[in-house]
Amino acid sequence: MSRAHDASLVEFEGVDKYFGEAHVLKDIDLAVDDQEVCVVVGPSGSGKSTLLRCANRLEEIQSGDIRLGGESISAPGANVDRLRQRIGMVFQSFNLFPHKTALENVTLGPRKVRGLSKADATDRADRLLDRVGLSDQADSYPSQLSGGQQQRVAIARALAMEPEVMLFDEVTSALDPELVGEVLEVMRGLAEEGMTMMVVTHQMGFARGVGDRVVLMSEGRIVETGDPERFFDDPDTERGQQFLSRLL
Amino acid sequence: MAESYSESAAEADEPFLNDRKLKLMGIAISGTFAFAVAALLAAVIVLQVDFGLFVEIVYPQFVDAFVIVLRIVLISSVLSVIAGMLVGLGRVSETRFTRAISTGYIEFFRGTPLLFQLIVIYVGVPAFWPPGTFPISDFSVPAAIIGLTLNHAAYIGEAIRGGIGAVPDGQMEAARSLGMSYVQSMREVVLPQAWRNALAAIGNDQVILVKDTSLLSVLAVPELISTFQEVNSATFDPWTPIVLVAILYLVITVPLGKLVRYLEVRADPAGSQ
Repeated sequence: MSRAHDASLVEFEGVDKYFGEAHVLKDIDLAVDDQEVCVVVGPSGSGKSTLLRCANRLEEIQSGDIRLGGESISAPGANVDRLRQRIGMVFQSFNLFPHKTALENVTLGPRKVRGLSKADATDRADRLLDRVGLSDQADSYPSQLSGGQQQRVAIARALAMEPEVMLFDEVTSALDPELVGEVLEVMRGLAEEGMTMMVVTHQMGFARGVGDRVVLMSEGRIVETGDPERFFDDPDTERGQQFLSRLL
Repeated sequence: MAESYSESAAEADEPFLNDRKLKLMGIAISGTFAFAVAALLAAVIVLQVDFGLFVEIVYPQFVDAFVIVLRIVLISSVLSVIAGMLVGLGRVSETRFTRAISTGYIEFFRGTPLLFQLIVIYVGVPAFWPPGTFPISDFSVPAAIIGLTLNHAAYIGEAIRGGIGAVPDGQMEAARSLGMSYVQSMREVVLPQAWRNALAAIGNDQVILVKDTSLLSVLAVPELISTFQEVNSATFDPWTPIVLVAILYLVITVPLGKLVRYLEVRADPAGSQ
């Protein structure tokens, strides 16, 4: 691993998830360390998005435990709303609030959840929009923005809650190819600042260049996990070789 | 393959209805219709309307009736939107019991005639008191308001449910992911969008509510239709009060339609639709 990690921030322990009869996550064990960028790759339907969605309990798991900083989010009595404030989520389809401006999208969480004043929330949102390169679009509505701009607003919206970990669920998959770079650039910046990230992606260049660790999933299982350089050059498992060969 | 293609191409040479013909037909039909209506209106106004009587019945008879209708409409309208919001939220509740109750409510109030519901309330409710002891001396207007509210809450509830259903799941997920509670997410994110989606249907329903006040004649509410009947039976003049009734309904429903359109535009600041 490229950095020294002292503590696990997100932990999956023996996680099983079913959609009806379908067993979509099978006995998942995974620990993401503080400041680590963990990239999850794998073929469609391998369970990687589901894994991410379980981490902030958008999906319920049937057995096992998922913890954030040692506190279970999957337990029946977990204070989900409070735990989710510590987890930022960015979606494939952006899911910006269409009736609110870019600025209002970013200020909503801090105002309603953290109880920030409008002025404080706006200050914070201005900084974040500037950081994702959109300070000139603060008053635009999502429908007036390109996909790449929308996704950058969505990242700013998640960051506004000052989360300890960011989850990225195929955030560039719905973008036109020429807009992918601007979003990856923002994510790269976050990684360099030491944000803990779980990234589900098909962007192998990003996985290799930014990831501290690559996790390969297949049919609901983690089949290989390791250093990106090593994974992409010479995967340990046959499944890994197979996956990489299909990318070429 | 080539044969069938040339065949259909040959047919397409002389279509019965081409774009230009359709346009002309539309103009011809609407022109004929407009002419017929104008002729009828002219005939009514010139030959049938007694302007002396018109002025005589406008005030106080019809103005009083109009004020009563307007008051009942305003109150029932506000109450039915509030109640409809609750019914709609109940319909999408995650709790099976709440959902079942809301569904049952809608089934009953949509499934039985409004006239029947009005009678149940007007005649049925006072029957719970011993004869002569019902505390409200003239129950007709309260009964009308209760009936219209309960009935239209069912339709508005369905409109709201549809409006909520049309908001993508990702909106709720994004809101919850920020740590907002279900209530906060609904209030800040889902309902404003659902409201916009449902506005056209709600507006439609409110126009129907205005017209449904005509049923209140059976509760002896002195509204527009019963006033028409009074004037008609006293004077044997049908058209003078008919014209007045038409004008007074339209005075409410046309601005109402405009108001709904205005609200729709206002609820969509991005102008996306």
